Amino acid sequence: MRLGMVIDLDRCIGCRSCAVACKSHNAQPPGTWWNRVFTPGASFHQAAVGKDGALQMESLPVSCQMCDNPACQKVCPSGATYTDEQGVVLIDYERCIGCRYCIAACPYGVRQYNWEDPKKAKERVGYEKGYEYGYPEDFRDKDGRLVFTPNRPVGVVEKCTFCAQYTSQGEEPACVRGCPGKVRIFGDLDDPNSEVSKLIKKRQPIRLKEELGTSPKVFYLAPAKPIR
Amino acid sequence: MKKSNLLLGLAGVLILISLIAWGYQINKGLIVTNMRNPFSWGLYIATFAFFVGVAAGGLIISSSVYLFNIEKLKPFTRIASLSAFASILGAGAMIFPDMGRVDRVWNIFVYPNFKSPLVWDVVVISAYLLITFLSVYVQLLPDWKKEGRGFLNGWTKSHPQEYVEAFSKKWSKRVALVGLPVAILIHTVTALIFATQESRGWWNTAVLPPDFVSVAIASGTALVLVIALLAVGKDQFEQYKEAFQRMALIVAGSLVVHFFFVAVDLLIHGWWGSPEGKEVLSLIFSHYGFLYGTELLLPAFTMVFFLTKKGKNSFNALIIGSLLLFIGVFAHRLMLMYPAFNSIPLTLAIPGAGIESWAYPVAIGQLQEGVPVFVSSWAYMPSLVEYAVALLPFGLLLFVVTLALRMYNFVPQK
Ligand code: SF4
Ligand code: SF4
Repeated sequence: MRLGMVIDLDRCIGCRSCAVACKSHNAQPPGTWWNRVFTPGASFHQAAVGKDGALQMESLPVSCQMCDNPACQKVCPSGATYTDEQGVVLIDYERCIGCRYCIAACPYGVRQYNWEDPKKAKERVGYEKGYEYGYPEDFRDKDGRLVFTPNRPVGVVEKCTFCAQYTSQGEEPACVRGCPGKVRIFGDLDDPNSEVSKLIKKRQPIRLKEELGTSPKVFYLAPAKPIR
Repeated sequence: MKKSNLLLGLAGVLILISLIAWGYQINKGLIVTNMRNPFSWGLYIATFAFFVGVAAGGLIISSSVYLFNIEKLKPFTRIASLSAFASILGAGAMIFPDMGRVDRVWNIFVYPNFKSPLVWDVVVISAYLLITFLSVYVQLLPDWKKEGRGFLNGWTKSHPQEYVEAFSKKWSKRVALVGLPVAILIHTVTALIFATQESRGWWNTAVLPPDFVSVAIASGTALVLVIALLAVGKDQFEQYKEAFQRMALIVAGSLVVHFFFVAVDLLIHGWWGSPEGKEVLSLIFSHYGFLYGTELLLPAFTMVFFLTKKGKNSFNALIIGSLLLFIGVFAHRLMLMYPAFNSIPLTLAIPGAGIESWAYPVAIGQLQEGVPVFVSSWAYMPSLVEYAVALLPFGLLLFVVTLALRMYNFVPQK
């Protein structure tokens, strides 16, 4: 089993619902976003770009690309970053030493550091006292590694886990469920009959920064909206 | 004696300030630094790389005495080893405050990932620490025996002085020869931490490791030169002049090699004319032009100066040339970070809009009034806490060198 995702850019309206669902389900502290959506070319989201009066406005969601050749994992000195048996790149929050080498290594800017204690950060920013959001419990992989906890320890790196706490129960990631446009299709890349595999065969997807040889397991279907 | 008291006091103050600042940082988290997700390594790693660099001098000097028979340098092999030991100690110490979970660094030893250049760096730096310590130790043994003091030398009691002298001679040579490849390795592996990362164009070049070695030989030798000059003093300058000139020549020579690498590197970054290459060049020449100018011009001055009669013939000239070189090399280490982090790896071309390179914004990891959450570059300036913490290796180096020079004789009389 190799879990992967197809993102159909034709359908994406740039509403950022996936980013919000991701942020709250995974209890991300203020200023931390595992999943981002931007308008390529624009300095802020939802601003059209173009020249000679021909404007365009696409949206591009980016979270961890779940590389098959993950630089983040190779640089990690303590083996805190690892790939599980489903091909998902995870971080053991109890083993990470906070060296941040992986942040320098990842080409996609998806890794986020806990510069301060998330509880303190929430308090300082003024989130309502006692208000806790997201999956409420710790989640450990089958070897007992802590890959999700509602308030991460200060000084460790975090990123998208494909919602390990849900996908391990056979449910879909929060972004997939939260997307109103059904842009995201999630499934097993090893199964030729899965929807992801079929789409990849049929639609000639692209992968980000393919030239770096990271072999991402997130595939994008290029937008084909006519601008004429 | 009085001067050394003052220096030891100063070293103590530096160490104390840094430890207090570090304690504060441990309490609050690395939020007290000005590093953020888009710019995740800063002053600490630059300072670390600087100290790894100056640690080279020791074994370069001692091994060239044995390998190339440069007898002139012989009086300074002890100082060279001491400077190397103190520098690598400083470098090693600097790494710890950069770790967000310093309480867990032992995980590197329990679960080492040997694909990570960082693990290899830990190995070679520990080895170098041990070797430079041994190098100082074996060289001091005969003195200790004669004066009836020292430490870890109880075993020499049962041996005659001649035996200890012969032992010291034999092992000084052996340690120096084993140490030389390790000295080369600490720079190579430290450079590989950066050079292996294809995501960062500024680092991802095969010239980085050899260039690290050349800069290290220059700055490491300069550090030995400065310590030797200060230990010998102006009065005895003439007596050791030839040794000092030889060191100045080593500094200048390796700078020539360094500038050759710099030129090749710039050419290759620029020639293809890709948006990434252009971005890096515009970062170093315009945005960080001042820092880059410092990195280029000061060492270039030292290089030329040390090749002239005037530059290598006087005590003051040698000190000034070396100090300028240190500033330049420190700028060089900082410039490892700026162009690397401020050109975001995930840049895309949007042909339809006529855009060749657009950087996908990164979340900074903090929500703060007046600062955007998503940025495509981060104007990193070290915070006060970072400056304070980064005093640690400076304090350690000063402390170890001053204390050792005060306690033992590091310039054996001929
Ligand atoms: S996108 Fe980055 S964090 Fe995710 S697997 Fe690839 S290198 Fe690692
Ligand atoms: S910050 Fe943590 S996950 Fe990242 S490389 Fe260091 S130890 Fe590994």
